[in-house]
This record gives sequence, C-alpha cells and structure tokens, in this order.
Amino acid sequence: MNHAIISCLHANLPAAEAVLNDIDRQGIDTITCLGDLVGYGPQPNEVVELIRKRGIATCQGCWDEDIIDGLNACECSYPSQLAERRGHLAHQWTDDQLTDENKSFLASLPTSLRRDRLLFVHGSPNSQHEYLLPDMDAFAALERVETAGADILFCGHTHQPYVREFRDGSIRVRLQNADHANDQGEELTLPMRKIVNAGSVGEPRHGSTNATYVIHNDATDEVEIKEVAYDVGRTCQAIVEAGLPKVFAWRLSHGFEFAEQAEDASHVCER
Amino acid sequence: MQGHQGKCGYLRLDGYPSTGLEQVSDSGIDKAFLKDQFPELIDLSDSHHASRSQQGDLLKLIELPQFQSPQQAGLMGMDPRVKNQLEALRLHPDRHLHFGRDPELPNKDTLEFKKLESFSLSLNASVWDPPSLNTLWFELVNGAYGDVYRAKALMNLPDGRSMFFNWIVSQESSQFIPLEEISAPNGRPASLSELVVQGKHLDGLRIQSTIDLCLLNDAVLEMHQMPLRDRQKEAIPST
Repeated sequence: MNHAIISCLHANLPAAEAVLNDIDRQGIDTITCLGDLVGYGPQPNEVVELIRKRGIATCQGCWDEDIIDGLNACECSYPSQLAERRGHLAHQWTDDQLTDENKSFLASLPTSLRRDRLLFVHGSPNSQHEYLLPDMDAFAALERVETAGADILFCGHTHQPYVREFRDGSIRVRLQNADHANDQGEELTLPMRKIVNAGSVGEPRHGSTNATYVIHNDATDEVEIKEVAYDVGRTCQAIVEAGLPKVFAWRLSHGFEFAEQAEDASHVCER
Repeated sequence: MQGHQGKCGYLRLDGYPSTGLEQVSDSGIDKAFLKDQFPELIDLSDSHHASRSQQGDLLKLIELPQFQSPQQAGLMGMDPRVKNQLEALRLHPDRHLHFGRDPELPNKDTLEFKKLESFSLSLNASVWDPPSLNTLWFELVNGAYGDVYRAKALMNLPDGRSMFFNWIVSQESSQFIPLEEISAPNGRPASLSELVVQGKHLDGLRIQSTIDLCLLNDAVLEMHQMPLRDRQKEAIPST
C-alpha cells in the first residue's frame, strides 16, 4: 500500500494545499508529516489548522520545538550570525501570530513516530536539530538507522530530498591478545537499510521552486520523490505583506540550492 | 602587470559626467588591491612619484571611467580634457584601450547599459562574520537587492585577513582573492574596507540593513581573536 510522507511545511499554505491535493488525487489516505509546520512562512495558524483538520500523524520539528520551548538551543542551530538574527526575527513573528490552541498542538507532537519497521523523525533519531545530509559519513548515517531499530528511516530538515541505501555492508573485528591464545574475530553482515528524506513542502532548496514529498510502498519498499508546482508568488506576496524579511520571499521564489550549513552538520544540540 | 619585469605605476582619473549616466566615485579598492599585490607600485597621482614615471621600463596603468565608446580609434579617441590632465602629470600614454572596443580587453568584462545606479558603503574598521559574508555576497550577486551588474569589495575577516571580492554579471562566478598583507588579530584593522555595487533598482537600505546583521561587535570579535593570539604566543619559541 502506498503512503505519503511530507515534511518542512514552514507556514506555506499554498504549497501545503497543493501537495495534499496531489496526494488526494492519487487516492493515498495514509499521510505522515515530519514536522516544521511553522517558521519563515506567513501562514503558521492556517498550516497548523490544516494538518489538525486532516488528522495527519505528525512528529515535532525543530521550529515547532523552538516555538514551544523558546530559543534555548546552543549556537549550533544557526550556521551564521546572519541566519541566527533572521531566524530570531521569524521566530518572534511566528510566536506572536500563533494561537494558544495551535501552540498546544505543536507541544503535543511526539519527536518520532514508528510503524513496524518504519521510523519517522524530523532531523534524526537523536534530535530534531540534527541534519542527516545525503553525503554524511556512511557509517555514522547507518548507525542512526541501526540504533533506532528501523529498516527505513524517514526524515526531513535538510530541505533536500534524497534516498540513501546501505546494502552489502559488513563490519569485521579482530581482537588480538598479547599471547595470541584468546584472539577473537567477529564479522557482522549488515542488512539493507534506507534513509529517505522527504525534502520540503514549504521551503524547497533542491534547485527548483516545486514542493517535494515522498511516496513509499510498504509492500515493495519502492520510494518515489514527487515534485509539485504551486503558486509561489502568492506565498511571496504574503511574506512581504506580513512584514517578514523580504529575502525569505526572494529565496523561495528562486528555489536556490544554496543553503547555509553548519560547519559540523551532524553536531547534536546539547540544549 | 603580472607579466611586466620592471616597476609598475597606477593612476585613477575621475570621469566626466554624461547625460543619464552616473559617474562612480573612486572607492580606492583597485588602488589598495594593486598596492597589496605589487608592494612596489608607484602612485602616479603623487607629483613626487610622478617624476619617477619617466623611467623607461615603468609600466603605467591609467584608469578612467568613460561610459560611452570613443568616437575614434586608438589615442585619437581620448578626451582632450584627459590629455590635458595627463600632460600636467607629464604622462604621455602610448596606448588607449576601451572595454567593448579593443580586443585586448576581455569581452566578458564588458557591460553595456543605458542607465546605471551605484551604491557604495565604507566598511572601514568593520569585521565580518565569515559565513554571513558568504551569504550576503551570494544574495547580492544573485539579485536579492536589485539587479547587480558589477560588485567589488575589500572585506575584513576576524583572523586579520582581508579579501578582495569581485563580481561581474557576464562572468560565471565571483573572484575571491586574499590580500597578502594580514593584520594582527588585535581589534579592528586599519586597512581600507569598502563595498561598491552597480546595477538597476538597487535597494541600498536593505543592503545596509543586511550588512548590519553580518558585522561582528567588539565582544564577538574578541572571542574570535583571543584564541588566535594565544596560538601565536605558543608558536613563538621561548629563549
């Protein structure tokens, strides 16, 4: 059966509506959302209410967490002073706009969701703030999936969709003692694991303005990354009218691949 | 200049305003950059140094902003007013090259426009958060603050380095060249720092406000520089 995974909606209502319409057209009725319903975009209440109304299973993203817990992450959350100051501006604006009811909903979200051998998180099983980038060290990436006890890990946060497969892997350990009498050896054959990143509905950064999401078939394990065009101009106009930094609209209207990244993207915030 | 064996001299002249085209005031970026790359560079605007300009092996580069093609080819195309200025400095050019006309100057460095806006900002004593500078430059040359045809800057980094940034819309990417001279990581540097942007529909206020978000305050600058000073102390062998 096909099910859909969406992530990083970022208060972009036209993008969220377009993606959900696309999913509906395919007759898919199981949808999982990987969080970041708010932040950067101009319609935080509308997007939270859409997800609530549709009853979509959702885990908490880093923006959702920050709105509830405050900006108490360590400096790793922002890759530059500019990103930090803009992020704080957007955080304050979003905090002012969100209703108490919608904040309570964000606070109630779990940090992960599990269905059998499938695990759904925003950043990584370690933290909503950790980036699992497509070129992350393979051993570290595999460790994230393996220790979480999942066959397939669905994540978002990077805004770049990808599918990464780990197959035909083995780890051999030989422990040598001084007298060689008790030398030990062990070889562990690793079963196939996958990391699937759903990209971003509301703030794509994969070189196009199209929103992205993922369809997974749980019988065949096939994964399809879907792109959906939406009315970017409408969102950009709303960003400017809301008084949010114009550069957010500019960035969205170009779908730039460029994204600031922390020096150590795998660093786990120790809040 | 890099290929010339002897000494080099440099002079930048002010242009003459033409209808509808704003002249760009000299930011000093070119001179500061050349002086860094060629420490022996002779300043031809200085009358004392200009007297040395008669040396036979001296290569003299004279820049003049002129936003229209000359009527005639070669030296005949020079504005008589420029000739007079140069004669006063006892400078007698043997070649006159114009972007867009002479094949010796790269065509990709040539821009054609009818109207030009320019924005310049003195950044002396300012020090950038390096990743923020990276983002600002990306946004600037990709049009976040208007259509930029040309952007040039000298920017200071917290470790004492200065970088020359150079962008022209007809080129594929920006040039980033670190200056040879490095300031001590001890507070704010004294070297020239300036940004010049040329293009259309430039939003100078937004450029300025974004820059304000990128510059380091004294406390953060000290956080960057203190470990550098400590490392320098450790590197000096005790006697």
